[in-house]
Amino acid sequence: MKKSLLFLLCYLLVLTGVWAQEKFTVNGYIKDASNGEALIGATVYIKSLNAGTVTNVYGFYSITLPAGTYLFDYTYVGYGKQEKQLELNKNIRLDINMEPEGEELQEVVISAEKEEALVQSIEMSVNKLDIKTISKIPAFLGEVDVIKSLQQLPGVSTVGEGASGFNVRGGNVGQNLILLDEATVYNSSHLLGFFSVFNPDAVKDTKLYKGAVPPQFGGRIASLLDVRMKDGNNQEYETNGGIGTIFSRLSFEGPIVKDKGSFIVAGRRSYADLLARPFVELLQDGGALNFYDLTAKANYNINDENKIYLSAYLGRDVFFFDKNQGFSWGNNTATLRYNKIFNDRLFANFSMIYSNYDYKLQFGEDDRDFFRWNSAISNFTFKPSFSYFLNSNNEISFGGEINYYDFEPANASGASNGDVIDISLAKKFNLETALYIGNDQKLNETFSLQYGLRFSRFDGFGRGTQYTLGAAEEPGKRKEILGERQFGRGDRMSTYENLEPRFSIKAQLTNNSSIKASYNRMVQYLHLISNTVASNPLDVWTPTSNNIKPEIGDQITLGYFRTLGKKDQFEVSVEGYYREAQNQIDYIDGADILINEFLEADLLSGKGRAYGLEFYLQKKTGRFTGWAAYTLGKTELRIDGINKGNWYPTRFDQRHNLKLTGFYELNKRWSASASFTFTTGTPTTFPTSRYIIQGVLVPHNNNESRNNVRLANYHRLDISFRLEGRKTKADGTPRKNTDYWVFGIYNLYGRRNQFSVNFSQKEGRYQPGEYIPSQANQLAIIGSPIPSVSYNFNF
Amino acid sequence: MDMKNLFIKSFLAIPIISLLFACEDAVDVTLENAEPLVVVDAFITNRAEPQVIKLMRTQPYFATELPPTLTGASVTITDSEGKVYTFTETSPGNYTWTPAANETFGEVGLDYTLEIETNGESFEAFADMSRVPTVDSLTFFFEPGDQFTDDFVLAEFWSTDPDDSGDAYWIKTYKNGKLLNKPVDINLAYDAGFSRGSNFNGVPFIVPIRRAINPFDEDPNDDTKVLPPLVLGDSLYVEVNSLSEAAFDFLTELKIQTDRPGGFGELFATPLANVSTNIRNKNANGTKAVGFFSVAAVSGFGRKYKSTDDVKDFPKQ
Repeated sequence: MKKSLLFLLCYLLVLTGVWAQEKFTVNGYIKDASNGEALIGATVYIKSLNAGTVTNVYGFYSITLPAGTYLFDYTYVGYGKQEKQLELNKNIRLDINMEPEGEELQEVVISAEKEEALVQSIEMSVNKLDIKTISKIPAFLGEVDVIKSLQQLPGVSTVGEGASGFNVRGGNVGQNLILLDEATVYNSSHLLGFFSVFNPDAVKDTKLYKGAVPPQFGGRIASLLDVRMKDGNNQEYETNGGIGTIFSRLSFEGPIVKDKGSFIVAGRRSYADLLARPFVELLQDGGALNFYDLTAKANYNINDENKIYLSAYLGRDVFFFDKNQGFSWGNNTATLRYNKIFNDRLFANFSMIYSNYDYKLQFGEDDRDFFRWNSAISNFTFKPSFSYFLNSNNEISFGGEINYYDFEPANASGASNGDVIDISLAKKFNLETALYIGNDQKLNETFSLQYGLRFSRFDGFGRGTQYTLGAAEEPGKRKEILGERQFGRGDRMSTYENLEPRFSIKAQLTNNSSIKASYNRMVQYLHLISNTVASNPLDVWTPTSNNIKPEIGDQITLGYFRTLGKKDQFEVSVEGYYREAQNQIDYIDGADILINEFLEADLLSGKGRAYGLEFYLQKKTGRFTGWAAYTLGKTELRIDGINKGNWYPTRFDQRHNLKLTGFYELNKRWSASASFTFTTGTPTTFPTSRYIIQGVLVPHNNNESRNNVRLANYHRLDISFRLEGRKTKADGTPRKNTDYWVFGIYNLYGRRNQFSVNFSQKEGRYQPGEYIPSQANQLAIIGSPIPSVSYNFNF
Repeated sequence: MDMKNLFIKSFLAIPIISLLFACEDAVDVTLENAEPLVVVDAFITNRAEPQVIKLMRTQPYFATELPPTLTGASVTITDSEGKVYTFTETSPGNYTWTPAANETFGEVGLDYTLEIETNGESFEAFADMSRVPTVDSLTFFFEPGDQFTDDFVLAEFWSTDPDDSGDAYWIKTYKNGKLLNKPVDINLAYDAGFSRGSNFNGVPFIVPIRRAINPFDEDPNDDTKVLPPLVLGDSLYVEVNSLSEAAFDFLTELKIQTDRPGGFGELFATPLANVSTNIRNKNANGTKAVGFFSVAAVSGFGRKYKSTDDVKDFPKQ
């Protein structure tokens, strides 16, 4: 495997050597002139050749062309076009600083530039949201939120307010790879899903791959959310902030050395507890109820060829009832990156990444009786990646990844009347390695290809205990532990290897329409174990082992993309997808997933499938902009022992999912936005019958069906109004500071959307033999319109 | 599992969150129809009193009448030494075995087989009687109130799980002679802790189990208040019932499915699933049964709350 990759690489390098005499390369970084931020996805286009390229995630581009004189167009949406006449008789390094267009021009007047439309790019199943768009979507409590915004896109859904994470094309929350400057984020939610961990002040760009994931990424089967942080202004100091209903934000950025390096530090903290402290005794007694995060990044240009970046994130949610009791959870990440331009065509990045997620839980008033538990997952990653810009038709990428994981399922101790007992579970150690190679190839005017192969491997190491599981008494019951085997430190306990082919093709039918298709295989070695109604912070990440097989997802997609209207102001797409997944995990009834040494005996495994059609219509320019996204989908599991072995819908199966998002510029200072969501009700299991055991009423589904009914349909309308601060002072001179207010109402018509319906006996004490009434109660997480106001500033 | 319930409960203790936005309403839902199943409620103990096995059928979930009884069945329990206990129908659906004077049901260490013949179908189930530790004492302590609760006097029982892992118990509490039988009152222990593998073994029951014997009931006159669990003159009797591992699993599932946290806690709740059973129809294609057969050894301790002098840390006037 490794040999053939190496061979292919050598072959490609030889090829380029042959061509090198007659061709030259232009390369460099494209940046925002006002603050030095690298521009991701900016376009370089040579009209006379109909050739071009786009910048990578570091803002770097490289294009190799035959000798000659060409006119280069540099464009990026929201920035003035730059044209450069270049005589290509040697390799040229050309960094471009793009001037942002005026605020008003961009938002009110129809932009003169056509942005690089999805129609032209080979990428499919991809949604990009820049922070400007995100900041305009009406948000819960007025807080701009990356993940909530993603949920307005086709193919992305959630099971409701209060659920952590998001679902992509029928995948579960744990099947999304979430990267913040390449570091894995294991839990993307603050406050149980009401907010995401990404501070919008520090985010530059987010890109969600719902399919056709390039080979440099792997490890989850449903999607990849790639969040890139801002680099920080390298021209001047800048402060951004906001004061909102639930938390406040403040960020500070500026040059380390002008033009050479910059930094950004951004923080947020909720203050419900500070406000409530005078009224709530618990909070005066050492209790806490808050979340906070701190995001920081610095970069430095050592010289034209070498650049380093350091980014870090720290966030935590804290719920303490008093100083001894409560729980908290949080992510920490750090990424050190080194960009190296080896030569005109070979760009490399080396990343060293640390990521950690942990939660802590403790109870007990004194040292005689207590329970203290913490659990963590940490990983250390080294990831070299190379881009080789072979010529204007081929961009080869290759590289690898080594991930070392350290799982601490439970570090726990308890005391009962002074007897202290350690109830910790053994740590688990794993290594996930991958090698990949891929190529973006333009065959001719019509066809482009993107293809690649990823080889991944997962090893489990001792010290540890491996259990041999027998068959369950009957399908769907706890498996018997037949035996166990001890492994010494460093001994290999299990190994899996997989090849993950990735392939996409685009046929450019006309200048404004294209058809794209893709196939990709993704393999997932880490599993998020959750058997609660909504994903929550205590869900357990557990590695593949001898008993838990890697999840394998195969997805095919087919899409039609087109732009319409004057200046291509409408973008339309239809995409179909079909995914099959192997080794999907579910649980026996009564599974015990917390601090259970024999957790693997409580897991069931089966097949999954998801398919659907996504329709997307976006109006990109004008006073009114916005989009409509509709997904018709189905997602099911078939697991022996559940639903009598028949296919059943997952909890996040949504037949219809409609999202409407609109923005309207009322005048120079006021703008309005609205978003509407409609989804089919969540599948759930209702009982058919009841019986009484030992004086307790038990609901029972005599048909043994799973997710046999649906909750009521979900719909919600949110609106917000934004008021820009005055641009000029009283004397007419321009203000340096900018500010704006956002007024919003979430759930405008106050619908009580069902989150769940639960069945129980009515409260009260019943004597033996007495009739016990049954009841059904629905829970709505949000039961009324929620108004909000926030004030945001920049100076 | 109970770990999670503890977590949920604690979470609910944060009034700010639950007040935040969530709301819970009773709702009318349409349910699927289903054929009824046989219900067997057979929790036998060695308490010196008549032992009753109830046979019923399941009824539609929103049924407004008592469950239909299964009459005319033949019900026996046979132990592993061949002794047969015959249960006779004393009232419709209730099958009773009455011990002779100085006799109790069963013996720790023996295995038992329940056999039921009804309407031409045969059901069977297996159980064993496990050991039970003595309950050493019951103590009272004072729990000062806070903003949301009043001052309470609460009880705590003391008993130590024997060495060697694998014991399981159901701790039942009787207040003034009446069994506390709300779903929330189901108090289970695996060794001295909540669950298998928690490794609390050979120590006194952990504090949440020791104190889970206090009844909490809503004040009928003010639904934001809780009635005091104990007032002067109340008596409590704590009875530890030994369980097999299967019975422990059954009751754990039963508690998960019936003791719904409600409100915001439903976020962390386990979705509805059927509680398992150990009752088998000998004909695999016959009518299925639900319910459970368990044989328990019991031990108990009772005490009356006579004076505030009995209460640890009771504030002096």
